[in-house]
Amino acid sequence: MPKLKMPKSSPALDMTPMVDLAFLLVTFFMLTAQFRPEEAVAVDTPSSMSESPIPMTNMMTIVVDSTGRVFWDFTDKGVRIAVLEELGKRVNYTPSQEEKIKFANVGPVGVPIERLQEMLALETGGERKEYMDQFRGIPTDSLNNQLRDWIATTRNIFYNDAQQNPIIALKADGNTNYMKVAEVIRIFQSPGIQISKFKMITDLETSRM
Amino acid sequence: MAQVPEGGGGEGGGRHSKKRAKKGSTHIDMTPMVDLAFLLLTFFILTTTMYKPSTLQMTYPVPDENNPENKTKLSNAITLLLTKNDQIFYYIGEFHPAGNAEGKPPTTLTQTDFSKVRQVLVDQNKATVAQLNDLVRQFNEKKITEDEYNAKRKEIKGTNDNLKAIIKTDEDAKYRNMIDMVDEMDIAGIGSYGVLDELKPEEKVLLDAEKAKF
Repeated sequence: MPKLKMPKSSPALDMTPMVDLAFLLVTFFMLTAQFRPEEAVAVDTPSSMSESPIPMTNMMTIVVDSTGRVFWDFTDKGVRIAVLEELGKRVNYTPSQEEKIKFANVGPVGVPIERLQEMLALETGGERKEYMDQFRGIPTDSLNNQLRDWIATTRNIFYNDAQQNPIIALKADGNTNYMKVAEVIRIFQSPGIQISKFKMITDLETSRM
Repeated sequence: MAQVPEGGGGEGGGRHSKKRAKKGSTHIDMTPMVDLAFLLLTFFILTTTMYKPSTLQMTYPVPDENNPENKTKLSNAITLLLTKNDQIFYYIGEFHPAGNAEGKPPTTLTQTDFSKVRQVLVDQNKATVAQLNDLVRQFNEKKITEDEYNAKRKEIKGTNDNLKAIIKTDEDAKYRNMIDMVDEMDIAGIGSYGVLDELKPEEKVLLDAEKAKF
């Protein structure tokens, strides 16, 4: 009965399709994965049901961490460098090309303006984070309200360049005392800035509905 | 391609084949490569968290300096005071301090929390919630388009006799509480609400007294 003859070869499978698939998936995940940039501040944003996505450009973010420190961030590198140059002028600091590039990539910044130079002299992100930890973020008290300067400078530079206002976002940690957030919002509303529309960055929540 | 090399064992002719030039099978053992591929695959799948931040559009009115007395009527408003430990105290209508001139009964605060506040708001806003639910049903049955739905939803939420809400926070409230409350506004169909970070002195006294009880 030739039909019942067992096949001679070993019970090996053709793995090619599996390998193809595996590599396809590997390639997909490798190419789509964006490593979250190492953030100088850990912020656990509260969740909301709002589904509008976060813009990737033209956005200034004011970050408030759980201890109430305030940081400034901007999405576009060109604007960041221009802001650094402009703020540097106030403290007679002219950043070098290298420092500009560093500043363009550091993410949220939370040091007093006069300390920018020292911070940018540091090499690694870890050192800069440590350096920033010494300070209480960007000063927001009424005598030395540097947050206003950051916001106003950013808006002017962006407006002169793009003839429109940047998108303003507030990213605060869920455990921040609301009083601190309210203080930042009051600075948003203060004369000379007068931001009344802004976005609050939240995590998408699916469970509560 | 990916077969495990058959070697000599299967054929049983080990000795003969030794002399012959090797059969030249181009089969490569792909097992390590597959291992690696799956290792990488697993790594990337596990490390990829679908991090999806979203944004909540807020409009804070810039204070009108020329007309600070520009007040909304509060008779149809609920005032929610957010405070520590995720507690909420609320009262409905205008605030009447004890012994007020109009002789109205003094306002008392009711305690609630984030799991119950939705029911409170929905109960206060029954008519609107019913209208909104009706709208959702129409939308789900495809009787109206999404644009119409959004426009109508906005219209219903914006009507004048709809419940208004004032969210006030004291110094112990957290930012999360405020965001959660704003979310609840949307769920309960409250279109006009405001967020304040200052309590009236009388409210503060009352709130402190209530807080002491819990």
